[in-house]
Amino acid sequence: MQSIRGYLRQISFLMVLAVGFATTLSTTAAAGVVGTGDVLTEQRADVDRQSLQAMLERQDVKEALSSMGVDEAEVEARIQSLTPSELADFNDQLAAAPVGEGVVGIIVLFLLVFIVTDLLCATNIFSFINCIR
Amino acid sequence: MTVFIRVLTGTLVLFMVGCASAPPWPETAGGGASQPPIQLDVPFFPQERYQCGPAALASMLASQAVSVTPDELVPQVYLPKREGSLKVELVAAARQYGLLVYPLESDLADILTEIDAGHPVLVMQNLGFDWFPQWHFAVVIGYDPASEELILHTDTRRGNRQPVSVFYRTWHRAGQWAAVILPPGDFPATAQPLPYLEAAQDLEVTGQRAAAFASYEAAAERWPDQPAARLGMGNIAFAQQEWVQAVRYYAATVENFPGLAPGWNNLAHALARAGCAPQSVDSLACANQLGPKSYPSDLPIFEKSSEPPSTGFACPVIQCPVAD
Repeated sequence: MQSIRGYLRQISFLMVLAVGFATTLSTTAAAGVVGTGDVLTEQRADVDRQSLQAMLERQDVKEALSSMGVDEAEVEARIQSLTPSELADFNDQLAAAPVGEGVVGIIVLFLLVFIVTDLLCATNIFSFINCIR
Repeated sequence: MTVFIRVLTGTLVLFMVGCASAPPWPETAGGGASQPPIQLDVPFFPQERYQCGPAALASMLASQAVSVTPDELVPQVYLPKREGSLKVELVAAARQYGLLVYPLESDLADILTEIDAGHPVLVMQNLGFDWFPQWHFAVVIGYDPASEELILHTDTRRGNRQPVSVFYRTWHRAGQWAAVILPPGDFPATAQPLPYLEAAQDLEVTGQRAAAFASYEAAAERWPDQPAARLGMGNIAFAQQEWVQAVRYYAATVENFPGLAPGWNNLAHALARAGCAPQSVDSLACANQLGPKSYPSDLPIFEKSSEPPSTGFACPVIQCPVAD
């Protein structure tokens, strides 16, 4: 019994190590892709208020906005409260793919990792875990 | 085994957080470890599921005596299908309450300096990793130099203490964005002229003219070397069709900044509307001489006004710094 427990303990540490390496690799890969947006940002012209308002008229954009769950009257009011330069940002973020839907399956796999990283003060996902310094 | 755990822990720390190690506790702003903790009295609203944005914003607004609940903010800042709020919409919503939103420099010391001045700080955090982001908004309400902790109203926790290491990493992953929200005319402790004037101009272009005017007025007094503050006051008066007032502000602008072509140009437009046609022509000529490429030598026909001079108003004498 004692030997099995010791064996399991070693296995679990190995798993943590393996997942740790896997996350490191994926971080590197993701960092390479994300950088492209930063380059594009400098070249992109600001979307001005009029053109976005004009886009609002189009049915497909209306559908896109209402699919975000926001009332159309509120959307127009929210657009009016933004500066032209903020509108450029806003439109990008609005158009960005929703996060979270595809990753539900792997959350369980990362549960252990995030508990560990929370304990190490690297993340703060779980409010019930206080990190150890 | 203990050694193995130590090595393993060290390895994990190295790989996962190596890119964003926390800086030392700022000595200049936060003071030494001997300083007692500081915690501002800021109203707290526990967040509903995914609604940290409305909760954090309500807390910031309540600290400036704007009485609003997170529920009331949801229609203004929440995206139901994204299950979150955009930073830019929190900023925009705060402006709609007539408040100035001043983004801080990406420096931990600046957050502490604002806390020292009694200003709670809205921060964005990524509680997860770059590849698994968990975006979050929270309000820094204090800090404890002895334990090197920041004190935050966050999610459902009032006055939660976070070690600087975890705060800095989560803040760093969200681009180190932080902002104070103040009544127009008040200054952040870390205020710089240009960012402040840009924040005031954001108020102007989003229809908050009274708030923008108050900010420009305060800025003109604090930074007399900034032409944009006086020019902005004139532009707001002009937008409100208060031509005589606009002339006065523009005239004050060019008096202090004789080489400012936009000032002369705007003065010309305001003079034309105020019924001072000859002076308008002179002023525009001056703008044209200072910046020939940007300013026309002649006003559009409709502004060569037939308007009578405003009663009780003496048209100013135009003294262009450039000799004819």
